[in-house]
Amino acid sequence: MDKRFKQKLLAAVIAGMLLPAAAMATEADLLKRIEALAQQNELLAKELQALKGQVQANEVKTAQTAEQVKAVSAAAPSADAAALEDLKGQMALLQKKSLGSWLTVGGDYRFRYDYLEGQTKTFTDVNQLFTNAQSALQANFFANPSVTNAGALSALMMFAKDMNNVKTFDGANAFLAANSPMLTGLSGFVTTPATDKSAFVPAYQPKNNSLFSNRFELDLNAKATQDVSVTAKLNMYKVFGSQNDGAVTNAGSAPFFADRVGVFDGTLGHVPSTSYLNVDRVYATWSNIADKEMWFSIGRRPSTGGAPSNLRNNTAVRPGNGGTPSLLVDYAFDGVTLGYAPEIDSLPGAYAKLCYGRGLETGYSDSLGNSLKDTDMVGLALVPIDTDPLRVWLQWNRGMNIFDAPTMRATYFGDTVAKTNLGDIDWLGAGFMTTHKNIGPGTLQVFGDVAMSITRPNNNVSAQFGFQGLMTGAFFSPEAPTSKTGTAFALGVRYDLPSKSKFGFEWNHGSKDWITFAPAADDMWTAKVGTRGNVYEAYWIQELDRQPISSYVSKAFFRVGVQYYKFDYTGSNNWVGAPVEINAVNGDMMTTTPLENAVNLYATFEVKF
Amino acid sequence: MKTKLSTLIAVAVLGLSSATFSVNAFADEGKMVGPVTKITLAADGKSAVAVLKDSKSGEPVSITITDDLTLDKLKDKRIQPGDEIRARFDKDGKNTSKSFKKTAGC
Repeated sequence: MDKRFKQKLLAAVIAGMLLPAAAMATEADLLKRIEALAQQNELLAKELQALKGQVQANEVKTAQTAEQVKAVSAAAPSADAAALEDLKGQMALLQKKSLGSWLTVGGDYRFRYDYLEGQTKTFTDVNQLFTNAQSALQANFFANPSVTNAGALSALMMFAKDMNNVKTFDGANAFLAANSPMLTGLSGFVTTPATDKSAFVPAYQPKNNSLFSNRFELDLNAKATQDVSVTAKLNMYKVFGSQNDGAVTNAGSAPFFADRVGVFDGTLGHVPSTSYLNVDRVYATWSNIADKEMWFSIGRRPSTGGAPSNLRNNTAVRPGNGGTPSLLVDYAFDGVTLGYAPEIDSLPGAYAKLCYGRGLETGYSDSLGNSLKDTDMVGLALVPIDTDPLRVWLQWNRGMNIFDAPTMRATYFGDTVAKTNLGDIDWLGAGFMTTHKNIGPGTLQVFGDVAMSITRPNNNVSAQFGFQGLMTGAFFSPEAPTSKTGTAFALGVRYDLPSKSKFGFEWNHGSKDWITFAPAADDMWTAKVGTRGNVYEAYWIQELDRQPISSYVSKAFFRVGVQYYKFDYTGSNNWVGAPVEINAVNGDMMTTTPLENAVNLYATFEVKF
Repeated sequence: MKTKLSTLIAVAVLGLSSATFSVNAFADEGKMVGPVTKITLAADGKSAVAVLKDSKSGEPVSITITDDLTLDKLKDKRIQPGDEIRARFDKDGKNTSKSFKKTAGC
């Protein structure tokens, strides 16, 4: 223990004694360090505070910036949206004001070349006979105003005056009995030096080897208000080098057919005459009546160029609700239609129309009360199905107080007016149109129509036409009023190829007493559908393969065709007088030139826009 | 007996279930009149979508057309934008057309 222990103890004591000193020295240093650290800490705290302040400031700035961004973002879409809405509004206004939104304009131009040739029968031209008689007696009187010559001229004038006063079948017989000598004497004026023109016309071959014509039509449709529109067609039709209808009416000689004596109310623009623009159609239509598929349409009606004539005319394959069957009616009527199209799933496209038209307005009644009555037509059309594959139509129409002559100017007979009502005519018709796709490389269109006409004559006769009645009698040979029934049919096909070539063939036949009301039909000789006999027509249409521009239906095409008429009876398209078998005609007194047969070659260039 | 009854019940349940699936065949029918504003033909030509502007509400209505006769009219432009149409359709989500034709008149 001693020594070692003592040493250790001493060391410990010394260390103990020194330790506080060392400790005292370290503590001071430590305090200094602590002070320094504290100062540093204080500085750091200050810096930290400062940093915190900066962070806060940054946060505030960021928040402000964000709010500014938000404000800007909120403001920008509003401005764009407002501008967009404004633009839309301007576009809608422009669209509303633009013509295309309410007005549709279209039409067509046609150049046509015709070669026409026929064969007549020998007949006595009544009009020339009377002209000869008057001219001869006048010449005699002026050459020698003797009592005899004066008496003869007076007798003729009295004859004409008394003839014009005859109204009825009985009156006609009485007149003829009382004027038998005059009638016999008339035959002496077949030829006369006074006119150098014989009333006796031997059979001959009338021909026109170059008839050129222009036709122009302008179609307008204006949507006036919701469900109410106005539709119009303006047209013009004339032959080259003429401002009248003489080229088709056989000017200077007896016309060939009653519907080509001259142009009148419902044929203007459909028979070549002048370059004057005519309002062929104008009607207002109110559709969707009572939210139903019901319509009311009034004005100058679309009663020309109906089905199936649309095929050879190369217009729309399906005519829609408008129009009338071309076998029964082809005349620009002023009238009204009430239509209804029920929704019947088993009868797609079905509709019915009740139609009325005025054929002749006779004005005020006269003081004697023997007024001529207005000529009116009413009709009921039923289309039970109207689709591309099949369209079926049924129609009845009645013409009431049929006139004996329309109002015409400067005809072969002078100015003509209606002078008597001859009775009524009923028509019944039915037909179909079908479209068959993929028949070989093309599409086949087929149609078939049948019709019947039933006359209901009254006791009146036409004095200006020699006491002929409604399909009764001959000139100066009246027949007791008798109802006559006639029939007709029309068949046709058209084959349409992808090359835009279309080949068509049509055949129609009319019986002896068949009469239609189609004077505005697009035929040069006479309305082919009114032929009492047979008409055969073949045609080729070649459309130009060009993109349509003015409308989706625009097109241009050539059409070449031929018609051959074989007349079995006289008087096609004429309801005054009874038809005569054509083979039996031999010098008979007639107002029109009887044709035995006729041919029409034609070629057109047409543009529809 | 129990087996037969359970079979009968099962059949009845199945029958009722199938009847619920056929409810869609009697979907509501919609009708409207309005002008065509847009026609879109499908690439295969077997359908088309026509947008009509309802004359009463002014709202556009899309109608799906699948029948060949109407499609033919759309393809050869017999029906085109601007034409007023009377339409009936099934409210089956696609407004499948039952009748699509120009309003009658004249």
